[in-house]
Amino acid sequence: MSALSKVTYFCRSAAVGLKHSPFVHFIAVTTIAIALFSAGMARGAARVLDNLLASLGGEVEVTVYLSPELDADEVHGVRARVLALSGGEVTLVSPDAALSRLRAELGDLGEALAELPENPLPVSLELRVPPERRNPDALLALAKALRAAPGVAGVDYGEAAVQRLSAIARALRFGSLVAFAVVLGATVVIVAATLQLAIYSRRGEIEIQKLVGATDRFVKAPFLLEGLLQGVLGAAVALFGLWAFGRVLGPTLGALFAFLLGPGVAAPWVEPRLALELLCAGCGLGLGGSFVAVGRFLRV
Amino acid sequence: MIQFFHVYKAYPGDPPVLSDINLNVEKGEFVFLTGPSGAGKTTLLKLIFCAEKATKGQILVGGRNIARIRESAVPYLRRNIGVVFQDFKLLPHRTVEDNVSFTLDVLGVPRAEAREKVRRMLKLVGLEHKAGSYPLRLSGGEQQRVVIARALVNDPTILLADEPTGNLDPALTVEIMDLLTQVNVRGTTVMVATHDATLLSRYQKRTVRLERGQIVSDEDGVKAARRMVV
Repeated sequence: MSALSKVTYFCRSAAVGLKHSPFVHFIAVTTIAIALFSAGMARGAARVLDNLLASLGGEVEVTVYLSPELDADEVHGVRARVLALSGGEVTLVSPDAALSRLRAELGDLGEALAELPENPLPVSLELRVPPERRNPDALLALAKALRAAPGVAGVDYGEAAVQRLSAIARALRFGSLVAFAVVLGATVVIVAATLQLAIYSRRGEIEIQKLVGATDRFVKAPFLLEGLLQGVLGAAVALFGLWAFGRVLGPTLGALFAFLLGPGVAAPWVEPRLALELLCAGCGLGLGGSFVAVGRFLRV
Repeated sequence: MIQFFHVYKAYPGDPPVLSDINLNVEKGEFVFLTGPSGAGKTTLLKLIFCAEKATKGQILVGGRNIARIRESAVPYLRRNIGVVFQDFKLLPHRTVEDNVSFTLDVLGVPRAEAREKVRRMLKLVGLEHKAGSYPLRLSGGEQQRVVIARALVNDPTILLADEPTGNLDPALTVEIMDLLTQVNVRGTTVMVATHDATLLSRYQKRTVRLERGQIVSDEDGVKAARRMVV
């Protein structure tokens, strides 16, 4: 059999299958669409979470306290070393500037600072780290290197807060991955169950095909093609849903949570990469479901 | 063409359906398999087209030992065997023409060639004018003729018929049996399972009688027919 006539036969057979059991196929397409829509929403939420982390990470500031005995030249030397080590922006804060900032932050209580015999605050360097180093491991390594540098008395960067935030993000990502796997598994089962109904109605045809000498692959191919079509349709519906969601509710949500999420929320909900991933996932779900379903009816 | 050597078939927990079957069917022969219901006629036919596997023994079909055939080779064996069932097994939503060409679709025969073969086959079974009809609008005899056309359209060397006239009235029975005889004359080996004694006496072909899973007699047509009359 030529490849073309085979493909023609499989397409014709798949079309007949879709025509004969439209309701069953509608259920399968809807199930796939709901699963993929949920997956797309989860991906959108993960992206928002990343934006949130990045925006919080951007606020991470490392403060390097210098030894009080350093003279002005030595301070500049340490500043140059810190700049070389971090690769970010370094601001020198004199003891007087630090004291007046502290007074301003303390408000009425700040007046008490005037009673101090001398300024106890050391010269410090405020370091704004570049984005690629705003993760707990990189920050820890940077702090270690800074502490070891001569002329540095101490380093503070809110280590505990950064690690807690990252742990929360990791837990959320892992949780969503598990939930996604469960949803995909359940979808394969539902799609297989619904497809079995469609295949059951054509069991007579399968039996005759087998009796006249069709191979298992030949019998399976149209059903797998049906599954593939369902997957593509399901993915298309899910993508349309995500696009519509982004268009209708995206701006409102962005405005509502702008104080927390930053500018990333304005990004489109359907990106080419996500569309491709959902399309592949849809094809996988449809093929997987039909593969499981058709296996049962081949024993003639 | 078909040889059974000490073939047994049993299902777990049940007495054997077939016991020590030894049978040799020559190429181009016409053989009736007869016996009461439950004697093992259908099982014997199923062993030939690998719908069942023998528990013990050897079965040669066209010189090939099918007792040891790989699962993946079964479809290719079946392409040389036409099968006709009592309950027709036609696809109700497909026309007569589509039902007959179904076999050729599976074999990948190009559409134009398939159409020509189907037309010739429908002419042979006298249903050329019903090509566009649906099976449920045909009489029982016509439906069975469609099944025979489907079984023969790819020129198999063997035709197996399991009670092909079981659902038909006497006139249609003769019609179908005449058709099977005609197919046999063209060179196809034909095995027909039936418990209809009138067929055996009318057509006088080699008759293998099964009882409780064993062959109790294997007689040529005249002898068998004489016994039927007595």
